[in-house]
Amino acid sequence: MSEHQETLSSTSASDLTPSAGATYGWGQELQDLLRGSAGSFLFGIPLLYTVEVWSIGSSASGPMLLAILGVTFVMVWLLTQTEGFRRTLSLRPAEALMESVEALSLGMVCAAIALIILRRINLDTPFTETLGKLVFEGVPFSLGVALARSTLSQPRQRDRRHVNSSRRFAAPDLFNLQDTLIDLDATLIGAIIIAFSIAPTEEVRLLSASLPPLWLLIVMAASLFSSYIIVFASGFGDRTERQQRGLLLSPVTETLMAYIVALAASVMMLIFFQQLSPSDPWQEWVGDAIVLTFPATIGGAAGRILI
Amino acid sequence: MSQNNPADSPTDPSAASQNNSEEVKTPKTLLEPRTERSLAEWVTFTIAALILSTLIGLIIYDWQANQNRPPAFQVEVTESARITDGRYYVPFSVRNTGGRIARTVQVTAELLLSDGESESGEQQIDFLSGNERKSGSFVFAHNPQEGELLIRVASYGLP
Repeated sequence: MSEHQETLSSTSASDLTPSAGATYGWGQELQDLLRGSAGSFLFGIPLLYTVEVWSIGSSASGPMLLAILGVTFVMVWLLTQTEGFRRTLSLRPAEALMESVEALSLGMVCAAIALIILRRINLDTPFTETLGKLVFEGVPFSLGVALARSTLSQPRQRDRRHVNSSRRFAAPDLFNLQDTLIDLDATLIGAIIIAFSIAPTEEVRLLSASLPPLWLLIVMAASLFSSYIIVFASGFGDRTERQQRGLLLSPVTETLMAYIVALAASVMMLIFFQQLSPSDPWQEWVGDAIVLTFPATIGGAAGRILI
Repeated sequence: MSQNNPADSPTDPSAASQNNSEEVKTPKTLLEPRTERSLAEWVTFTIAALILSTLIGLIIYDWQANQNRPPAFQVEVTESARITDGRYYVPFSVRNTGGRIARTVQVTAELLLSDGESESGEQQIDFLSGNERKSGSFVFAHNPQEGELLIRVASYGLP
């Protein structure tokens, strides 16, 4: 994954200036992989916050894990024939198989990253347990990869209206502000849709209690990074349009703003479900909020693309 | 401007994701079967296949190595007791030296004092997989140094 991250900035920059020759080159491939990872996280995150999946994974036997891998591969293969994570619309049977291998593998890698970020796998975790957790959590992550193209593509029919004529006459900042508010609104909706079902569960506390203090910074960084990838680097949605209406905010600023919205939404949800009360220590407030903001940010990023 | 052109929409679902000027041309190439995969795609496939086969290999290896080793436990007092507010905290750790996972591992501690009295404590650990170590503490009102302390695993369940 590290090589992907290094080339990330160059790709997102070069995509703004279209070059027909690079359609199937490294940049396109990287974008495909990032798109797959984005779909993977969006689909897999809710199951990541389920304590039962960790324990079921820990106690599964070897043949069971292989069977689950096999079943997942068949499901991914079926999905790849109609959806997939690459933008190619015509595939030969062998290519569908190869893309399924890639999707399953990408899903496992994303699941591993997510499990490491949330400390479900660390250096002390026994080997058997690591494999079990990885395979079980890898199932939704792999399905997310295979569904990436269709989950996060913007439906053409649902494009919003624009009042173009008056834009040039009015103060541009006002319109940008309005568009920014629409974006933040979409972030809020997406964050609530994904995180609302996670907020009342025990897992938020359980996860935040098991994270070392500085590890929260890694969770924050992962939230920001995945949010950036989903919106700006994976080629979902209409980036040209985003560039035009998002002039007020650069991608980095928008990502930060969206994070703050997701953070506020997470705190509100935790208070709403009485997971946090004024008598709790502030460390618990910070920890719980940051842990819940991880799925909320991902939901918010998806919201900005889809709504 | 980025207004959508409704004329090209019916033939071309792929343009739904993006409608740059570049996208007007690419859908045709996306729809045609490609003659070959690009180098980048081959590299991705190779790495992906390697990751998957490694994962499968590790699962098989781990299964072969651990399937015939039932749970066994090693309990030890990791450090000397600390005293806080007149209570004695005795830290312990329990390790599953077997290969298979054990559930509801019950660790009991009994402190037999020299005057015939006794204190006991109990701790249940939900999951302890092969080679995993978990720690905790027993809390006593009397100094464990003044009596005989017995810490052992009393029972466990299989998943």
